[in-house]
Amino acid sequence: MIKLIFKEAWLSIMSDKMRTFLTTLGVIIGVCAVVIMVSVGQAIQIYINKSFDSMGGNLLILVPGTGESSGIRTAHSRPTVTLSDIESLKKIKNVISVVGIIGTSGQMVYGSNNWYSRIAGTTEDYLIVRNWEIDKGAMFSDRDIKSARNVIVIGQTVAKELFGFSNPIGKYIRIKNIPFRVVGTLKEKGQSMTGDDEDNVTLVPVTTARQKLKGSRHPKTVDVSFIKIDKEENVKIVQQRVIYKLRARHNLKTGQTDDFSARDLTEIMNKIRSIGKALTILLSVIASISLLVGSIGIMNMMLVSVTERTREIGTRKALGASNKWIVLQFLTEATFISCLGSLTGLFLGIALSQIVGIIYSATVPISVWTIVVSASVAITVGILSGLFPAYKAMKLNPIDALRYQ
Amino acid sequence: MNKPFEKKVLELRHIDKSYFMGEGLEQKVLKDINFSVSKGEFLAIMGPSGSGKSTLMNILGCLDKPTKGEYLLDGVETSQMNENELAFIRNRKIGFVFQGFNLMMRRTVEDNVVIPLIYSGKSSKESYLLADEYLKKVNLRGYEKYFPNQLSGGMQQRVAIARAMINTPEIVFADEPTGNLDTKTSHEIMTLFKELNEKGMTIILITHEPDIAKYAKRLIRIQDGQKFYDGSVKGYKED
Repeated sequence: MIKLIFKEAWLSIMSDKMRTFLTTLGVIIGVCAVVIMVSVGQAIQIYINKSFDSMGGNLLILVPGTGESSGIRTAHSRPTVTLSDIESLKKIKNVISVVGIIGTSGQMVYGSNNWYSRIAGTTEDYLIVRNWEIDKGAMFSDRDIKSARNVIVIGQTVAKELFGFSNPIGKYIRIKNIPFRVVGTLKEKGQSMTGDDEDNVTLVPVTTARQKLKGSRHPKTVDVSFIKIDKEENVKIVQQRVIYKLRARHNLKTGQTDDFSARDLTEIMNKIRSIGKALTILLSVIASISLLVGSIGIMNMMLVSVTERTREIGTRKALGASNKWIVLQFLTEATFISCLGSLTGLFLGIALSQIVGIIYSATVPISVWTIVVSASVAITVGILSGLFPAYKAMKLNPIDALRYQ
Repeated sequence: MNKPFEKKVLELRHIDKSYFMGEGLEQKVLKDINFSVSKGEFLAIMGPSGSGKSTLMNILGCLDKPTKGEYLLDGVETSQMNENELAFIRNRKIGFVFQGFNLMMRRTVEDNVVIPLIYSGKSSKESYLLADEYLKKVNLRGYEKYFPNQLSGGMQQRVAIARAMINTPEIVFADEPTGNLDTKTSHEIMTLFKELNEKGMTIILITHEPDIAKYAKRLIRIQDGQKFYDGSVKGYKED
């Protein structure tokens, strides 16, 4: 009996293949859009998290801020954070480490190869703070820093570009015509959130960078500092202490604004996360609208079908179809179309989002939750949109329906 | 003709049918119709258009309900039944043959013939076996997989007859079954009806053609909503 009902429904929806295809297409596009939007949204969130993890967690970023000179706030940043500031911050409770960085960049030359890279003048603690590890060789030492030696640790990209597959340890790179001995290489890290190649970096002792590469007018300052804190719940309190300490060290009076800013990375991260989330929701809502439109397409087709098949409905009633059967027939047809559309849409959506993942070399998750929800919503809405046409068919008077031309 | 010991398939008692046109305007279409049909009869109902013939047919076929009176089908009073109960009666006790065949054009012959069995909950396998059997009875063996539009009008009507008989109804109603057919095919179809009647099937034929009505044994003429003649076909003299 069930077999016969299914066969009837199948024969009916297959009797006009083009129309069924177009109606199904509406549902396919709707479900496909939902799956892609949700998957891509989740992929963006995973990507954000990964990027933050690679930056290292529980971090405060200390940036020299807008200072005041003669009561006028200067727009550009002044180098106000000094090396001795950093040393004093290390003494704050719950702080694991503080690292100051002098940022610059330059052309590296090795033999006939040359490569342009960012250069960070920093200290040993850089690795701890930025969650980074040495691949080959070693990090430069405290001694190297104190005597401002020409030693360099290079990222994977730099190593590849300059040395190919040969071992760079012990070799000399020239930057601004100054030879630097490679003492170590960093492990691969990948792309940063902004799409930069994180491995295109070199590390030199902070003293070397300042004296030999940058020739800074403010020799004892750093550009940016990272403060690593032991636990996430201590980040806020350390932030307060850092501000308090630096204000005291910089002789800032009450009412004067900070000449630095200590930002909580987790806070920034959470903001970006919530933007990512909002984006996912927005995309899903737009996709859901297309799903709704697809379902209206089903209702439209079923309504046309009821009118076209008035005589058929009349005949069926005369042959003994009760109201239950008529409703069941039209609902089964609507269900068939929405199931067909949903499953095809799911399949397409998963395939397309994986292709997007491959193109952007990102992990695009296949969320079971998304699949279950979007498919069941699509099927439910499909069946619901079959209800009204089915009711219309049920209400037809058999005598009038039989006479309908 | 109605012997008391014969089983009555249907019986009409004082049937009235009125249509209400609003503002209390009442149009009486059928007035006090009484007759009964016994098993194995072949009855033709004739009447000019507007006589109430179609309305009578709809009531007999349980597609419509009388305004007044009782209609017993196979001993069961049907005039107070609801839509679903009537659908059940139509499915089990009545077979319909229409003027326009009313076949589903996009379904094969056998898929058309099994439709009444879907509504009585028969299994798929059983249904198709029965379809083969009844297609044989109307000489359409071998045409199971054809589509209706590949067949002649006469063959299509035979498919419809197989569909009407497949649920072994008490009675088959044929409403102008030859209206869309040429004379030769009409007589073929009527011969088939006659044969089926001789094998025991009760048939009520609605027609306005005296030539077609001649195949029946009994004739009822309706005029202005009233029974005008009820007797043997041969006994009726055309005015």
